[in-house]
Amino acid sequence: MSQPKEIFVRLDRCVGCHTCKIACSVEHSRSKNLFQAISEQPAPKNRVYVEWAPPDRKVPILCRHCEDAPCMHACISGAISRTEEGVVITNSDKCIGCWTCVMVCPYGVIGRHMETRKAYRCDRCPDLQVPACVDACPTQALVYRTVAAFSGDVRQDAAREMISGKGS
Amino acid sequence: MAVKQMQYIIIGASAAGMAAAEAIRRLDSEGSVTVLSDEQDMPYFRPMLPFIVSGKKKFPEMMLIGQGPYRGANIDVRINSRVEAVNTADQKVSIKSGEELPYDKLLIATGSVPNIPSDIAGVEAEGVFVLRTIADACAMAHRAETARHAVMLGGGLLNLKAAFALLERGMDVTLIVKSPEVLSKLMEPDDTVLIRNALNKAGLKLVTGSSVTRILSDSSGVIGVLLDSGREIPCQMVCIGKGIRANVEFLDKSGILVNQGVVVDKFTRSNIQNVFAAGDVAVTLDPIAGERIVTGLWTNAAEMGSCAGRNMAGQPGIYSGTFGILNAAQVADEPFVSMGIVHTKGTAYEIHITATPETYRKLVFTPDGTRLVGALFIGDISKAGLYRYIIREMMPIKDIKSEIVNHRLHYGHFLR
Ligand SMILES: Cc1cc2nc3c(=O)[nH]c(=O)nc-3n(C[C@H](O)[C@H](O)[C@H](O)COP(=O)(O)OP(=O)(O)OC[C@H]3O[C@@H](n4cnc5c(N)ncnc54)[C@H](O)[C@@H]3O)c2cc1C
Repeated sequence: MSQPKEIFVRLDRCVGCHTCKIACSVEHSRSKNLFQAISEQPAPKNRVYVEWAPPDRKVPILCRHCEDAPCMHACISGAISRTEEGVVITNSDKCIGCWTCVMVCPYGVIGRHMETRKAYRCDRCPDLQVPACVDACPTQALVYRTVAAFSGDVRQDAAREMISGKGS
Repeated sequence: MAVKQMQYIIIGASAAGMAAAEAIRRLDSEGSVTVLSDEQDMPYFRPMLPFIVSGKKKFPEMMLIGQGPYRGANIDVRINSRVEAVNTADQKVSIKSGEELPYDKLLIATGSVPNIPSDIAGVEAEGVFVLRTIADACAMAHRAETARHAVMLGGGLLNLKAAFALLERGMDVTLIVKSPEVLSKLMEPDDTVLIRNALNKAGLKLVTGSSVTRILSDSSGVIGVLLDSGREIPCQMVCIGKGIRANVEFLDKSGILVNQGVVVDKFTRSNIQNVFAAGDVAVTLDPIAGERIVTGLWTNAAEMGSCAGRNMAGQPGIYSGTFGILNAAQVADEPFVSMGIVHTKGTAYEIHITATPETYRKLVFTPDGTRLVGALFIGDISKAGLYRYIIREMMPIKDIKSEIVNHRLHYGHFLR
C-alpha cells in the first residue's frame, strides 16, 4: 500500500489570506456550497486556523494527527481513534463533550460544537482526494504529501517543528 | 537465539491496566499478557458511568476494548478474578479461585475505591450508593426508577456528575457539602459563581456548610437524612461522594511499599523488583507543586499505565507525573477546565482574573511572575491545551505573557 499522506505547512509561503479557512468551512457544511453555507445553522465550522505571530508571521494551524496522540489516550469515552490512513478522528456518536481532548491538545486545534456538545477537528476531508484547505491554498503554503516526499523537499524550515507531530 | 517468553500479569483491567497491556503488546509480541479483574464485566470507560445512571447510554456503548487506543489484540482479560495476595518472593499472584499465576513482570493497577466516612450512621441501608463500578451504576439506575428525591453527600466533580445524571431522569436532587461551595478541590469559592448559577438553573438544590450525620431508613430502605443542623431531608436514595482511596489492602503481606498508594520511582517501579504500579493506586509526582500525590484521573491512569507497560517490556521511560488537578468537564451548560495550582488564597502567587457575565479566567503565575503554574477557565475553555503545555513544560513565558493573560495565545507563539 502507498504511504499515507499528510497536510504539511510551509510557513514561509503563507500570506494570511484565510482562503483555507473558508474552503474548510464549506467542505464541512451541509450544502458544500459557499453561498448556502453562509446561512446554515449551526454555522459550519472551519478546522484550520490562521494566526498571526510576531514579528509578522502568518501561521496556519491544524490538527497534526500526532503519532502518539495525547487526545486519543486522554479521551474518557473512547471516542478518539486513528484510522488506517493515520488520521486521528473523533467519533461524534461516542463523544460526550467532556472537553478532555481540548485540555490536552498542545496545538489548541480541537473545536467545540456548542449546540450538540461534540468536539471536532481536522478530518483530512475523507470525501476528497486532496483536503479542501490544501486544494484552495493559492500559494501552496499547505501541501498534501507523504512524509518521505515532504522531507525530501524541505531543506530547513521552521515548519519542521509543526510537522513532527509528537504531541506531549 | 531463543528468548524466554515473558509472562506479564496486570492486576486491574481499567485505564492504567489496559493502557499498560497495549503498550506491552506494541513492544513484545511474544510474551503473554494477562489482565486480572475482580469485576463481573469486561473493561469499560469508567467516567461514562453517569450515562448508565441517567439511562442515556447502555453498557455496550461504554465498553473499552476496540475503542480509542484500546485494540485488545492478544491480551487475555480475565474477569471475576480477584487477586487475593501477591507473593513477591516467588513472583506469583493468587486469585480467588485458588489458582496461582507466576509472573516475570507484575503491574498493580487496582485503582481506587470510594471513601465512606465513618462518622455517618446508617450507611448500610438499602438505597445508599457510591458510584464507582458498572454494578453500582446499574443499582443506582434501578433505585432511581421508583425514588423521587435523591440526596448527594459531597460536592466533588464525581458527585456532581452523578447528581446531574439523576436530574436528567427528572428526579429532585439535593446536594450537601461541608465546604462553603461545590468543587472546592478544583476552584476557590470566589471562582464558582458561574458554576453555581448553572447548577441553580439546572434545578439542583444545594445545602452548603452542612454535613449528614445519619441516614434514616425503614424496611423500604432510605427515607431521609439528618443534617448536623438537626434538619431532616426526606429522600429515597443517597449517593456518597467523599473522595477515594487507593485499593491496596490485598498487598498487605506482599512487602510492596504503600504510603497512601503504591510508592513508585520515576520508572513506575515499586520497591520490589519486577513489580510496577500505575493509575489511581499509585503515588505520582506533581511536578508543579513538587509533591507526591495520588490522583483520581483517567488521563493520569492511561498515561502512567502506558509508561509502566513500556518499562515492563524493557523500554525504560520516565513518567514525569501529572498535575494533581487536571480536570475538564461540563456541568449543566457550563464547560470548565482546572489545572495545576488554582488555590491561591493566602499565597504570594501572581494572579490574573478576568470575569465577564459568561466567562471566568484565572491564571496563576509564580510570585515573581515568570512562570505559569495554574489556570482555571469557565465558560470559554478554548485552546486550554496550550496553557497545560506551558505549565507542564515550565516554559519561559516572557515574550508571551500578555497573550497568556489576555487569552490571545495560539500555537504560532510557540514557534521560534
Ligand atoms: C463517575 C466517575 C466519573 C469520572 N470522571 C472522570 C473524568 O471526567 N476525568 C478523569 O480524568 N477521571 C474521571 N474519573 C476517574 C477515573 O475513572 C479514574 O481515575 C480511573 O478509572 C483510574 O483508572 P485505574 O486504571 O487506575 O483504576 P480503576 O479504574 O479504579 O480500575 C481498577 C480496577 O481494578 C479492579 N481491582 C481492584 N482490586 C483488585 C484485585 N485485588 N484483583 C483484581 N482486580 C482488582 C477494580 O475492580 C477495577 O476494575 C471518574 C470516575 C468515576 C467513578
